[in-house]
Amino acid sequence: MAVVVTVVFLLIHLIPGDPVSVMLGPDATPAQIEATRRSLGLDRPVHEQLLGFYARVLRGDLGQSYFLDRPVVTAIVERAEPTLMLMACALLVAVVIGVPSGIVAAAHRGSIWDRALMLGSLLGVCVPGFWLSLNFIYFFAVRLGWLPAAGYASLFTEPVSALRYMVLPAVSLGFNQSALIARISRSCMLEALQQDYVRTARAKGLPDRAVTYVHAFRNALVPVVTVIGVTTAVLIGGAVVTEIVFNIPGLGRLVISAILRRDYPVVQGVVLVTAAAYVLINLAVDVLYAFIDPRIRYD
Amino acid sequence: MARRTISLRLLTALVTTALLTFAAPPADAQKKGGVLRVGNLGEPPALDAHWTTASITETLTNHIYEGLYSLDRDKRPIPMLAESHTVSRDGLTYAFKLRSGVKFHNGKTMTSDDVVASLNRWGKQSIYGKALFAQVAELRAVDPLTVEMKLKEKSAIVLISLAVPNNFGAIYPKEIAEKFAPEVKVTEYVGTGPFKLAEWKPDQHIRMVRFDDYKARNEKPNGYGGGKTAWVDEIRWVPVPEVATRVAQVETGELDFADDLNLDAFDRLKGSAGARPIVSKPYYWLVAVLNKKEGLMTNQKLRQAWQAAIDIEPIMRNVAGGRKEFYRMDSSLAPMEITAWHTKIAGLPWNEHNRDKAKRLLQEAGYKKEPIRFMTTQEYKWMYDFALLSKQQLEDVGFNIDLQVVDWATLVKRRNNPKEYDVFTTGMGAFYDPSHHIYLTASWPGWTTDEGILKVQADLARETDPKKRRALWERQTRQFYEKVPVIRYGDLFGLRAARNTVKGFDESTERIRFYNVWLEK
Repeated sequence: MAVVVTVVFLLIHLIPGDPVSVMLGPDATPAQIEATRRSLGLDRPVHEQLLGFYARVLRGDLGQSYFLDRPVVTAIVERAEPTLMLMACALLVAVVIGVPSGIVAAAHRGSIWDRALMLGSLLGVCVPGFWLSLNFIYFFAVRLGWLPAAGYASLFTEPVSALRYMVLPAVSLGFNQSALIARISRSCMLEALQQDYVRTARAKGLPDRAVTYVHAFRNALVPVVTVIGVTTAVLIGGAVVTEIVFNIPGLGRLVISAILRRDYPVVQGVVLVTAAAYVLINLAVDVLYAFIDPRIRYD
Repeated sequence: MARRTISLRLLTALVTTALLTFAAPPADAQKKGGVLRVGNLGEPPALDAHWTTASITETLTNHIYEGLYSLDRDKRPIPMLAESHTVSRDGLTYAFKLRSGVKFHNGKTMTSDDVVASLNRWGKQSIYGKALFAQVAELRAVDPLTVEMKLKEKSAIVLISLAVPNNFGAIYPKEIAEKFAPEVKVTEYVGTGPFKLAEWKPDQHIRMVRFDDYKARNEKPNGYGGGKTAWVDEIRWVPVPEVATRVAQVETGELDFADDLNLDAFDRLKGSAGARPIVSKPYYWLVAVLNKKEGLMTNQKLRQAWQAAIDIEPIMRNVAGGRKEFYRMDSSLAPMEITAWHTKIAGLPWNEHNRDKAKRLLQEAGYKKEPIRFMTTQEYKWMYDFALLSKQQLEDVGFNIDLQVVDWATLVKRRNNPKEYDVFTTGMGAFYDPSHHIYLTASWPGWTTDEGILKVQADLARETDPKKRRALWERQTRQFYEKVPVIRYGDLFGLRAARNTVKGFDESTERIRFYNVWLEK
């Protein structure tokens, strides 16, 4: 984490651009810009600012946003709910589409089902998320009027609106990821279906359905869970574009706005929190292995 | 036959009366109520009108705060919080009589103490305030409703500086104006405007609600000023950074109004059943700002070669997506909408696209194909488009253009350092007085230090006779095209969209205002 903190700090400070020029507007004079830089402490040498940043992080203080007039921690907490909600819904969509598609394709290898599902997953991998999002908005919101084009409502205060707002972003974000899950699920299932214990189960006269869905699927789950874990982490990145297109006030939108206006404390804070989330997700996946596969033990 | 004619006439008269009654909106058609949802580009850096020139701050703060003066539809100063003013015979003392009974959003009544504290702060931070206060010797409260401004020398820019809507002299309660130093942005938002701030949730919305104790002027609405009525209960400003989403949301009715749209959405909006496109004029005139402090462009011949080489019409057509409604070919430094300062001068070396002249000037400049660093950004598509097309045209006559595409934050940082570029792109919005044209000053990036230009600018700030000022401005325009401090391209217009239920919106102002707007739902 210390490396992440340092790299992020240096990257954001070394790229050209200046928050003060953006804040004061296009017609501000250099003298005005300098005065405001001084008042924000941006005129101090970078190493001094870095040491100050370390000291604050150790105290759990991520600093104050230049633009939002509030502590970075508050800004992150305010925007965590929409991002978590989007990720959860998109993950649900990805798993619900991806895992069954992979299993069905493997169980009916070479059939029309297999080809259609793999073609679908190929499209899912190829189609850019923002293109899919804009087309979803055009067809389902503008043309058909079934769903809102963009926006967000909290699940805790307006549950029905929240779900309506979440359908299009979750599907467009989840669809891309479902393709990867489907392809991995298929190949793992194919491998599992060729194992000796599957042959034994069939020889014992177990029905095909039980062999596929109970015996083979359980054993194919470990790599699938790994890919779902990776997908969860990838969704954090994918959520950035989705949040911009669907105007969801989450962490992705926060970090993009912060980068564009060089709100250094916010960029540093969000990247730090995201890096911590990656570590936690990987830890959760490792713990999950032990539940899925009794052969795996962490002593 | 006669009876039939009479019946026909009667019928025609009845139908005409009925049509007139129902077609023309009656004077009392305005309705109170509703929430007006406005989609805009993003978050304001501040809601402190003194502190930043950002256009989004201008738009938002003009609903919350008011200044002593405002602009009428011809962009001339008219009183807003001031009742009237008198000028001493020597032209050195202005006495402003304030309107009585004007309330702040916190219930306090506005007095001259608030005005003095606010204008003193504005004079230290705002670009327009600083320009005016360079001429001010003293500002004091004479009585609770009179403010006196003593000048060091005669000035032509007192009223116009107090009237500009950008970075403007908003009147805050004295306690707030004195609490926040000029370089620190205000975070307590109390004004006298028709709307008061109810909630600011960054990246979600800014809610402004009607101020019930607002004291409106008795005049009719007039440009940015005149009588203001908050018909809607609330304006909800929703930042929607993705432009395609803004268009879709105004089509679906999730937004009532969307600002700053891409020009290619025009046809789609025209075909929409529930929304309509609005062309906003003036928007910007496109400009390549030349670095006259250091480097290649300090050479006037080279600047003249650039001016002679470019063919502006195809560039503008392309930038405007091929649509004539979105651009205008005009050499005046003030847009047509600012009638007082728009000029029509024949024979200016603008849009010459004279390749021979350009080549000759390049030779005279002693130019040896050194790369010219031309900085632009893709964040504003029009800037990138006009830079790219200029590069092609300029290289055809012998320039060597090193087009450097960076993000906007980088561009605005780098343009302050004369070592980092030769030319950069931007747009010039409306300047309401000749003395406000920042690219004709030595302090703004590009650094116009030409003595002749600066002298005329100084004369324009002092001269109070309108005819003489007009003559000075025409002289300055001629000088501009001779000395070429920047390259003036054509006028580009913007695109907005409104639901058909939005009524009373004044399409003639360059920035959006929602007082006097009502919803017909």
